[in-house]
Amino acid sequence: MRRRMHLPALLLATAMVMAGCGGGAATTAGDGPAEPSGPPQQGGELTVLEDAAFAGGWPTGLDPATNTTGGANVPQMSAIYGGLFRLVADDDGTNARVEPHQAESSSIENDGRTIRITLREGLRFTDGTAFDAEAVATNFRRAVDSPCTCSPNWPLADGGITTDGPLTVVLEFTRPYAAVINAIPVTNVNWIASPTALAEKGEDAFAIEPVGAGPFTVVSNQLSSELVLERNPDYFKDGLPYLDRLTFQSIGGDQPAYQALLAGQAQAYEGLTTTPLLEQAQSQGQLSVAVQPATSPYVVQLNTEAAPFDDPRAREAIYAATDFDAIAQGLFGGQYPVSQSFTGPGGLFHTEEIPGYTGHDPERARQLVTELGGLEVDLGTLGAYVAEQVMTALQTQWQEAGITVRTETYELSTLIQEFNGGSWHAMLQTAGSWDPAAGVGVNFRFDSNSPFSGVTDPELDALFDEAAATVDPAERQELYDRAGEMIAENHYAPFGLAFAPANLAVPGVYGPGLTTQIPPIVVNTGVHWDEVWREPQQ
Amino acid sequence: MTAGAPVRDRSGGLTTLLGSPALRMVGKRTLMAVPIVLGASILTFWVLSLIPGGAAQQLLGPEATAEQIAALEQRLGLDRSGPVRYLQWLGGAVTGDLGNSVISGQPVTPVLAERLAVTGQLVGMAFVLSLGLAIPVALLAAYRPNRLFDRLSMLVSITGLSVANYVLALLLVLLFAVQLSMFPAIGFVPLSESVTGNLHSLALPAVAIAFPLFCFYTRFLRGDLVDQLQGEDYIITARAKGVGPWRVLVRHAFRNSSFGLITVVGLNLGTLIGATVIIEQIFALPGLGQLLLQAINTRDFVVVQACVVVFAVIAVLANLLADLLYAVLDPRIRYGSR
Repeated sequence: MRRRMHLPALLLATAMVMAGCGGGAATTAGDGPAEPSGPPQQGGELTVLEDAAFAGGWPTGLDPATNTTGGANVPQMSAIYGGLFRLVADDDGTNARVEPHQAESSSIENDGRTIRITLREGLRFTDGTAFDAEAVATNFRRAVDSPCTCSPNWPLADGGITTDGPLTVVLEFTRPYAAVINAIPVTNVNWIASPTALAEKGEDAFAIEPVGAGPFTVVSNQLSSELVLERNPDYFKDGLPYLDRLTFQSIGGDQPAYQALLAGQAQAYEGLTTTPLLEQAQSQGQLSVAVQPATSPYVVQLNTEAAPFDDPRAREAIYAATDFDAIAQGLFGGQYPVSQSFTGPGGLFHTEEIPGYTGHDPERARQLVTELGGLEVDLGTLGAYVAEQVMTALQTQWQEAGITVRTETYELSTLIQEFNGGSWHAMLQTAGSWDPAAGVGVNFRFDSNSPFSGVTDPELDALFDEAAATVDPAERQELYDRAGEMIAENHYAPFGLAFAPANLAVPGVYGPGLTTQIPPIVVNTGVHWDEVWREPQQ
Repeated sequence: MTAGAPVRDRSGGLTTLLGSPALRMVGKRTLMAVPIVLGASILTFWVLSLIPGGAAQQLLGPEATAEQIAALEQRLGLDRSGPVRYLQWLGGAVTGDLGNSVISGQPVTPVLAERLAVTGQLVGMAFVLSLGLAIPVALLAAYRPNRLFDRLSMLVSITGLSVANYVLALLLVLLFAVQLSMFPAIGFVPLSESVTGNLHSLALPAVAIAFPLFCFYTRFLRGDLVDQLQGEDYIITARAKGVGPWRVLVRHAFRNSSFGLITVVGLNLGTLIGATVIIEQIFALPGLGQLLLQAINTRDFVVVQACVVVFAVIAVLANLLADLLYAVLDPRIRYGSR
């Protein structure tokens, strides 16, 4: 979830798009990923912009165990620590899978209750100490106790983190958890810090100048402002990273970032969501634009535990009054697909058509509203460009069906209060992640125990638990299909626009996730910084 | 020497200095600043405590459980009562230690000093630019009211006043950074690294802040000058003595109008600080405004309080400076007749 630019700035952005503003040399791609003219080149520097309201904020530093915004700081963390596993995909974003990175392999035993992770041999942190099983186990223990929401949600047995020899870490769970490896890249257990450097520096200093075994080492770190990194010459992948220097710069939103790219002040921007700018970038061809495969659709969360949506007819009326196809076409020019499932087309276990999903039927909506004697709904969302646009469109559609709609845009803290208060009606949010069992996945929006779910359904809870525990992908697919059907049959929450942010790069910059597509594992795509390269400048 | 007596003793003796009205005014205003700054810090603390969602909840986001929030609050020391935390902070602040950020654990004072240097330079440049341009433009406009230059300057002023800082900032970037590649769109070059690079990096942000001020000062000063020229007895007297029109304007009318200008410049400081928060964000400048915004977003009350205290001190100093300037420009004040 993210906050975005305010309306006046967006109006300006829109006006500038309409005026066709912009300059600089036009070169590469419009719609698709950019194609390099030759093989990757070594050397060069790159400045990457990150939105201050999301990845551009790292107020608690970059120690995986004390950082509280780790879910947003995946770019910085990956550049410094590398990662035990990472999500890779073909250049067009298909065939996405989690592969071992600093880990060599993993195995699931004991019906999903035991996980063994084996490390690559000879790995070293940049302080020269060994990156071994003991170091990883130490990091796992710290990560589990971390206050960060990026801390893993492992059902660990007592003393469930052990080592088996110098290269193998063993996890013991109280119940099967087969989805554990897919969940690792989105949690802080993926980033392994040097225990020796941590002990020597102390937690506070380490958070500012962390030491890992990733492709880059820290040169300077001004919290939530600028992080300067340089090449790790002893990185475990020969010839990588390509770049000599990588700088993460925090910036106040899409518009300044876009202009900074055009002005040549930076070479890449992660997480563009302002649609007018996206269209401008695509149409003018000055920048390479990688719109990522959508994994997380918007969902209208309905509070089934309170009036009016404790009445199934009211929920069905919302399904019938909602036309997400019209919104996708009318507001976003068909840029984003519409999903009936809690995972978008870029995610695992996505199903195109969910049996029992009742779509747009204004007549039925009006009939139900009449039957109910009227329907008044408070619809809320977090302040974000796409969300606010969709919310306004929904208000119009629902009002046409005779529903009285009051809309509200919330700040994060007040949104949380609304949920905790329990008297909310409907909330437009994003649901799902690449693997539904990982991160802000389906459980987060539909599990009875989640404070952000409007649903209490033990049968659905059991399905989610079973799906997360199941090793066989085909069986998992069946379980998630059934869950999707249950949500549709009960009209728990209509799904909509499957939206994913885009990454921008200037001509001559290439890399996985930056100029090719990788599904966002939760929000932004995990760029492989070690493989990002830049054509030599003239 | 008695209070209020003219400062004619130029001996430089300590007694004379301490007895001077100007110095007594400085002392009095400095003492008055203490409750102002203290009040600002208490108010800030209280307002922060009213904002729903504490630092822990804000940092952890909507996914956080109550247990995670409680654990982080304990780690950050936020489980102590508000007054205890405030008094602990105040105890350190009076000795010059503004405490450690509750979020990062880093000492606030050095961070603040580093950021203040950036903001101070930005604000300084904005003031120099706005006043440096507004004064001659207003003088020229008032010299021949309702002529072409006057009308043009008023048109520019009204247009400039109706454009928000951030809109102007984005347009400046579009024109001077994107289209013309004359200035950087983002980033800051420290003065220690390169003088030209430093000025170059602050040029657009300074103009974005200075332009609305320039428009306001021009409009204000021009209006005041024209009033002075048209109706004041001392102007008629000066003209009757055969003083030339330009000299009447600059030496007589402008001198009188400058009091009003000094007042509005002092009052504008708050607006200016507000503008730096937005402008620093747009231009990715590591200044106090950016720090304040980050601290508010993360409910880092120690940093917010430190920033507010610094802003309060600056505001008090600016007003004090304005009063001293009155004294320099107006003999009646200098000699304690007011």
